[in-house]
Order: sequence, then C-alpha cells, then structure tokens
Amino acid sequence: MRGAALKTKAMQAATSRTAAETAIEVERLHKSYGAVQAVTDVSLTVPRGEFIGLLGPNGAGKTTLIEMIEGLRVPDSGTVTVLGRRPYPRDPALLPLIGVQTQKSAFFPHLTAVEHLETVAAFYGLDRGAAQRALAQVGLTDSAGVRVSKVSGGQRQRLAIATALVHQPEVIFLDEPTGALDPQARRDLWTMLRQLKAAGRTIVYTTHHLDEAEELCDRVAILHQGRILTLGTPHELIGRSGVGSRVLLPATAMSAEQARTLDGVDDATVGTDLLTLHTRHLARVLAALGDHGGLDGVQTRSATLEDAYLELIGAQS
Amino acid sequence: MTAFAALTRASFKANTRDTATIFFTFAFPLIFLTIFGLIFKGQRVEETGNGYIDFIAPGVLAWGQANAASFGVAFSLMQWRKDDLLRLIRHTPAPLSDVVLARLAIAVGVGVAQCVLFIGVATIPLFGMHVSARWPLVLPVMLLGIAAFLGLGLIIGAVSKTPEAVSAIGNCVVIPMAFLSGAFIPVELMPAWLQDVSYTMPLRYLLDGLVYALAGAGEARDYWIACGVLTGFAVVFTAIGLRLFKWSNEE
Ligand SMILES: Nc1ncnc2c1ncn2[C@@H]1O[C@H](COP(=O)(O)OP(=O)(O)OP(=O)(O)O)[C@@H](O)[C@H]1O
Ligand SMILES: [Mg+2]
Repeated sequence: MRGAALKTKAMQAATSRTAAETAIEVERLHKSYGAVQAVTDVSLTVPRGEFIGLLGPNGAGKTTLIEMIEGLRVPDSGTVTVLGRRPYPRDPALLPLIGVQTQKSAFFPHLTAVEHLETVAAFYGLDRGAAQRALAQVGLTDSAGVRVSKVSGGQRQRLAIATALVHQPEVIFLDEPTGALDPQARRDLWTMLRQLKAAGRTIVYTTHHLDEAEELCDRVAILHQGRILTLGTPHELIGRSGVGSRVLLPATAMSAEQARTLDGVDDATVGTDLLTLHTRHLARVLAALGDHGGLDGVQTRSATLEDAYLELIGAQS
Repeated sequence: MTAFAALTRASFKANTRDTATIFFTFAFPLIFLTIFGLIFKGQRVEETGNGYIDFIAPGVLAWGQANAASFGVAFSLMQWRKDDLLRLIRHTPAPLSDVVLARLAIAVGVGVAQCVLFIGVATIPLFGMHVSARWPLVLPVMLLGIAAFLGLGLIIGAVSKTPEAVSAIGNCVVIPMAFLSGAFIPVELMPAWLQDVSYTMPLRYLLDGLVYALAGAGEARDYWIACGVLTGFAVVFTAIGLRLFKWSNEE
C-alpha cells in the first residue's frame, strides 16, 4: 500500500516535471482546406528553452502548423498544448505568455510605429516604456515617429517582431521573420534571437534561409506537403542525408578520370577552372591528395543543411 | 492604459488623420439639411405653428446618426478583419468587449459632434430651426440610438468581407429604413399600414425621441417608450453581432 502510494507520488512528480519542461506539445494534428491537406498527422514536442526551426518549400504547411499552435487556426483534429494550456478557444491566461509574429503583419492604420506599439503594449497592461524597449530591441528607435504605412518592407518586418516581443513572452513564434531584412539587419536579429534563447525563451520559427536555420536552431523540422519528413539537430540531418563533402582543386591538378581513381572519391566533376571531388570520406581523400602531389590550392566544403534539405526535398518529387 | 483606452485612442487618432472620411461623415447630413431646408423654406405646420424645418431637421439628424454609427463600426470591423488586425488583437489578452466599447466611445463622440454641428447650422436664420427647451433630452435618446445602430453595424461588419459589401448591405438597410421611418418624409403622409411598419424600425424611435426633445412636440410617455425600445434594439443587435463576430475571415 505504502509502496504503491510512494510510487504514484514519484510518478506524479515525474509527469509534472516533464510538463514544466515542455513548452509545446502537438499531437496528431490535421488540417485541410477543402481538398488541400495542409497539415497531415503532425506530432511534435518542444522542450522549454529550445529554438526550433520549421523548414520546407512554399505551401508545405509551415504557417498552417505554427498558427494552429498559436491558436489562430483551428485544427480539424489533434491536440495542441502550449505551456500546459490549450491555445484554442482563446485563453486570456495563456496569451500574455506567447508572442506571435504572423507571416502577414498587421498594424493599426494611420498610427506611427511607436503609437502602434504603445497600443499593443496597453493590451498587455504595459506602459510606454515597453513600447520604447521593444523598438530599441529591433533597432527601430530612429523610425519611432514614422507612420506604419510609410515604413520600408524591412522596417515593417522589424516592427512586427517588436509587436511580438513587446510583453517579453515566454514562448515566441516567428513566421519568416527575416524574409525582408537586409544582411546587416538579419545578423542583428540573429544576435537578438540568441540573446532571447540565452534568457531561456522558447522560440519556434520558420524560414527559407537554410544557413540561418543551421546557425540558430537547436533542432529543425523539414515539412513537405503537410508532413514532417525529418526532425533533428542540423548536424544530425546533414549526417542522415548522406550528402558528403566536396574538395575543390585547380582544374590543372589532374583530370576527372584520374581523380575518380583516388581513394575515397565518389565522383569528380570539372568546371571552368576548378575540379570538384565529391566524397563521404574527406580524410581519406585529403590523404590521397597529399600523396599525389600536395595540398596546394586545395579547398574543402563540408555539407550544409541546405545540401541536406535539397537532397531530401529533391527525393520527394 | 487599459485596452479600451488604447483602442479608443488608436481609433480617434486614425479618424482625425483620415480627413476625407471625417469630412464626409459630417458633411453628409448637412447636405441633406440644406436640400430639405431649401425645399421647405418658410412653410409652417398648421397645428403646432412650428416651421417644417423643426420636423425635417430631427429626421435628417436621426438618419445621419444612424448612418455614422452603423457604417463607422461596420467599416472598421470589416477592415480590421481584412487587414488581420483582429487576428493581432486575438493573440493579445485584450477583451472583445473592449474592442466593442471603444467603437461605442468613438461612435458617441462622432454622434455628439455631429449633433452640435448640425443643430448649429440648422438654427441659422437661413434654415430658421427652433430648438425647444427640452433639448437636453436629446442626449439619452441619441446615446441609445447610437448603441442600437452600433449593434446593427456589428452585424453588418461581421457578415461583410469587403468595403463594397459593407456599402451594399448598409445602404440596403439604412436608406429604406430612413424613408419608412419618416426621417425624410413625414410618416403622416404614408398609408396606415406603412405607418405600422415604421414601428418595427429602430430609426422610427430615434426620430420620435429627437422630435420630442428638439421640436418640443409629442408626449413624454412616447419619448420614454422610444428610449426603452432603442435599448431593446441595442441589446438584441449587439448580441447578434457578437454571435456572428469572427476574428478572421479564415475561421
Ligand atoms: N486560408 C487558406 N485557405 C485555403 N487554403 C490555404 C489557406 N492557407 C493555406 N492554404 C493552403 O495550405 C497549404 C499550406 O499553406 P501554408 O501557408 O501553411 O504553407 P507555408 O509552408 O507556410 O508556405 P510559405 O513558405 O509559402 O509561407 C498550401 O497549399 C496553401 O495553398
Ligand atoms: Mg508560410
């Protein structure tokens, strides 16, 4: 009796701990628009503090999935839990804990950037200081007085991100936050996102920039036609894809036929001034090249998440 | 600041910065006042000794208020939904009641300003309207009338996805109602059964209340009945409007 009671207690402790450590729980989510299956049988668990990327071609279902998690779209079936609560129907206790930037951003008409943010801040019971802080966070302080209809595309996107962050939410959803940003602004946003992650925030985001996802995400999910094809750390995905490394050397070094006979080389292709060797055994190839006449002018390119992505998506069609 | 205060402030700023819309909101009833004022200039109603303008002006004013309240809320709801602004509000803790109350605050502000301007113009010697000593009673009936038409606007705004739909639906409802309620032509000129029909319309009660307060004609009892019926319309229309309310067109 006593033993059983203790055991139940221990189990309860274990479940409540996992509940406390889980930010998002998605189970068997389905959503279709008429004949279009936008999201099919998606399950996903995101621990607190994780930075997860949703990747996939246009129309893969990223926005549909992320907006069902936010509670903005209603699933046909399946369940979503965010911080232990259901996002649909509207739950005023959950909403202050999540920050949402949608793919199509919305602003109050005829207001300036700072007035828009002050309005949103007031929805959370926050004062003007929150609006100023969020503006500074995305580097928009200088454009505070510009009407929302007059700001540039990139500034619009930054204002949308500031709108999502104004109340310092626990879980942050960003749907293509870097699409319209210039290279410098993109790097600034990366820095900001890393700071948010360091502060323990959970971040779910979608992007078409694979280099960025590889740089930022703890894990990425690749979606295709509404299903998650693969899920893991960028490193795992690259490993799983079987895409090897490339070794580049001057075209004058040897012929492609010669190169194919080297130890570890899977294939060789010749361009205008470069010979490219494809391999899954980089060390062996480099050793062979060293024996063959030195490594002068040799460059290596390791496989990227983009390579893995293209391989995986290419195999689908 | 509360969500209500913030939404009211945001809408107020948007309204004052959108000069074309604000101009026509106020100019529209004045144009009608001028037309009717010139048509009936100098004519008197035998029984009461009032000028025709004393009855025409409350009619045009009632219609102007109904128009501004219902179209104002219908357009902004439709536009906010279309622009995904309602979705933005949806993912914040701002209560829906604050969204509606902010619209009411704006509509009342517009209504009071419209009323003051309108009476100011109608009483100039060219039109020669006389305002009765009961004029403070304009306020209660006007507030209730605005609330009723705001409710109607919530319904129109909920079912419309485009500005064209708001115009089409709104005009189909408000213009026939203006004629049938006697806002433009006195109900006394209409066949008896049409006079009965007029009692099914909220504008009829707003008009009766305004005639009582401004022209000083009619019974106190009818004034308070008008207020009561307008309250009923406000409650029913708002309930239906909230029932039909959608945060986004995709829902
Ligand atoms: N509101 C809608 N009504 C009808 N179909 C929709 C709607 N939203 C999305 N779809 C369809 O669902 C599928 C998934 O769309 P979704 O927007 O989720 O893709 P996505 O991965 O976000 O694409 P993108 O990279 O272009 O943003 C697409 O086929 C799209 O046409
Ligand atoms: Mg999308």
